[in-house]
Amino acid sequence: MAVITYLEAISQGLREEMRRDSDVIILGEDIAVFGGAFKVTRGFLEEFGADRVIDTPISESGFTGAACGAAVEGLRPVVEFQFADFIACAFDQIVNYAAKNYYRWGIPMPVVFRGPSGGGFRGGPYHSQNPEAWFTHVPGLKVVQPSTPYDAKGLLKAAIRDNNPVIYFEHKHLYRRIKEDVPDEDYIVPLGVADIKRKGSDLTIVTYGAMVHASLDVAERLSKEGAECEVIDLRSLSPLDRNTFLESVRKTSRALVVHEAQLTGGFGGEVAAIIAQDAFDVLDAPVTRVAALDVPAPFSAPLEDAMLPNPEKIYNAACKVLGY
Amino acid sequence: MDTAFLDPTLDRTTIKPDEILAPEQLTAWYRAMTLARKCDQKLAALYRQGKIVGAVYLGIGQEAICTGAVSLLQPNDYFSTVARGLAGWFLRGVEPKQVIARWLGRDVPPSHGRELGLFFADVERYGIAPYHNGSMASWIPSGAGFALAFKIKKQPRVYVAFTGDGATSPGDFYEGLNFAAIHKLPLVVIIENNCFAYSTTVDKQMPVANVADRAPAFNIPSEIAFGNDIFEVRRVAKRAIDHARAGKGPYLVEFKTFRTHGHGEHDDMGYVDAELRAFWERRDPLRLFREYLYGADGFGEAAVQALDNECTEVIEAAVIWAEAQPEPAPESVTQRIFAP
Repeated sequence: MAVITYLEAISQGLREEMRRDSDVIILGEDIAVFGGAFKVTRGFLEEFGADRVIDTPISESGFTGAACGAAVEGLRPVVEFQFADFIACAFDQIVNYAAKNYYRWGIPMPVVFRGPSGGGFRGGPYHSQNPEAWFTHVPGLKVVQPSTPYDAKGLLKAAIRDNNPVIYFEHKHLYRRIKEDVPDEDYIVPLGVADIKRKGSDLTIVTYGAMVHASLDVAERLSKEGAECEVIDLRSLSPLDRNTFLESVRKTSRALVVHEAQLTGGFGGEVAAIIAQDAFDVLDAPVTRVAALDVPAPFSAPLEDAMLPNPEKIYNAACKVLGY
Repeated sequence: MDTAFLDPTLDRTTIKPDEILAPEQLTAWYRAMTLARKCDQKLAALYRQGKIVGAVYLGIGQEAICTGAVSLLQPNDYFSTVARGLAGWFLRGVEPKQVIARWLGRDVPPSHGRELGLFFADVERYGIAPYHNGSMASWIPSGAGFALAFKIKKQPRVYVAFTGDGATSPGDFYEGLNFAAIHKLPLVVIIENNCFAYSTTVDKQMPVANVADRAPAFNIPSEIAFGNDIFEVRRVAKRAIDHARAGKGPYLVEFKTFRTHGHGEHDDMGYVDAELRAFWERRDPLRLFREYLYGADGFGEAAVQALDNECTEVIEAAVIWAEAQPEPAPESVTQRIFAP
C-alpha cells in the first residue's frame, strides 16, 4: 500500500495496463514529449516509445476516429482529451461511430476516452465543464467518473479491459487534492457497480465525482447534528447500478441527488426519475436535486462560486429533505 | 460542349488495358460490375414496389472505381465504401442475396436488421472495415486508425477509403488525412467525384476545381483520372496502393464519374442538365467495359451475353432468397448494445 493522489492513481493505472498489454496505446495532445497538460503521462514516452505514446495534432475528431479504427484492428487505444470540454469536437465520432459500431456490425471497439472535467479553479466556459450527460443519453457508450484514487485506478483498468467504448471523466479538482492508500497489487473496480462511501439511515445522497467529497463533508456535519446520511458514489453512470441506491432509499425514505454538472437534463434527473418511479411508495420527502445553475461555467470567482454546487448548498437541501 | 463536362485529357469513349490480363480476371470484374448494376436496378424496383422502405441509394454509373481498386488489394487489406461501391463488395465475396435481404430489413448477418443496406462491414470474412453511418468524411480518420494499427504491428497492409466529392468539405477529411500524412500511414483515399453532393454541384462545394487540388495541404501525392474506365482505375489505383504499402504515406486519387440516379431513389434529379446526363451515358462504365470485351481482346458478344444472363439469374434468385428470410424478432431490439 502507498498513499497516492488521484492523479497518480490514474497515471499508475494507465502505466500498469500498458505494461500488461502491449496493445494498449495512448493518443492525445501534448501527452508524449510534454507528459500531458496535467502530467498524467509523464515518462510514458520514455518507457513505451513513440509507437505507443502518440502526440496528436489539435484535431479531436481526427484522433478520436483514428483511435476507433485502431481499436477495431486489435489495439486498445486510450485517448486523452486535454480538457473534457474539447470532447465536443469529437462528438460525432463518439456518438455516431464508436457508440453504434457493435450494434450495427457485432464488431467490438475497445477504446477509452479520458476527459479531465469539472470546475472550481476558474477555468472559464471552455475548461470547466462536466459533459457526462451528453453521453449517458447515447446507447452503446459506457460512462464512468471516479471520485477517489482507489476507484480512479481500478475503473481505468476496467475501462481499458472492456471491449466497448468507455468515457472516463476524471475531475481536475481532485487530481492533487485527494489522496489515499491504494494497493500495490493489480485490481479493478468493475464498471456498473456503485459504492457506498458512507453508511447512514436517515437520508440517501446519490452522487459521483467531485460532489462525493462535498457530500461526505455534509454528511459529517449532519452527523454531528443527529442525522445520518448514506452517501452513494455511482462511479459508473452507464451502465448504472440502480439497485444500490434504490435499496438505500428503501432504507432511508429520503433521497438527495447531487452532481456538479448543470441541473437541467443532467444525469441527476435520471436518478431522481428512477427513485420516483421505483421507490415512490417509501418516500417521505420529494426527491431533490442539487446541481450547478443552468448557465455556462463563468470565469470570475464570485460568479463561478455562485454557479457551482458546494457543501453549503448541499447542506441546505439535505436539511429541507430531512425536515419535510 | 463536351469539354465543359470533363477535361479532354481525361476523357475517353473506348477503353483498353496496358497490362496482360487473364480471362478469369476480366470475367470476375465484369461479373462484379454487372451484378452490381442488376442488383441496383432490382433494388430500385423493390423500392418502387414499397418492399424497401425508407430510402434506397444506388451506385449505377460508378461501378468501375470500386471494382478496379479492390481488384488490386491483398486479401488482408481493408476498404470501406457505402453501397455506391456495391461492385467492390461483390468482388470481395459478398453475395447479392445478403445485400438485398439487408435492404429488406431481414434478420441476416452482420446487422440483423439494425442497419441499412447502404452500409456493409465485416472485417473477418471480407476485409470490409466498419465505418461511420452518416458523414462520409468520417471514415478518413477511422481509416487512418486502421492504417495506424497496420503500421504499429509492422504489417504491410493498406486501408482504402472510398468516398465522394461532398465528403471533402467536412473537417474529418482534413483531420484524417493530416494525421495519416504526419505518420506516413498506409491510407489510400479514393474520391468518386460524381458531380453532385446530393443536389449541390462541385462549384458550390469547393473553391478549387478538383478535389485533388486539396492534396498539397497534406504534402501527399494525388492524381485525377477518368473513373469510368476500369483499366484506368487500375493504373492509377495501383500507384496509390503501392505507394501506401511501401510506407510512403497516404495517397489521394480523384476519379471523375457521374451518379446516373438520384442521391437516393426518392430524388428525381430535376437539377441535372440533360446534356450532362447524355455526356456521361455515352461513357457508362459497364458499356465501355462491355464494348472492350466484345472486341478482339475480349470474349465476344455471346460469352458476354451469357455472363449477363447468369447475373440476371443470380439477382432473381437473390430476391427470392431474401424475401424468404425472417424479419428480426422485436424482442431482439435490445440485444447487442454492448460487446461481452
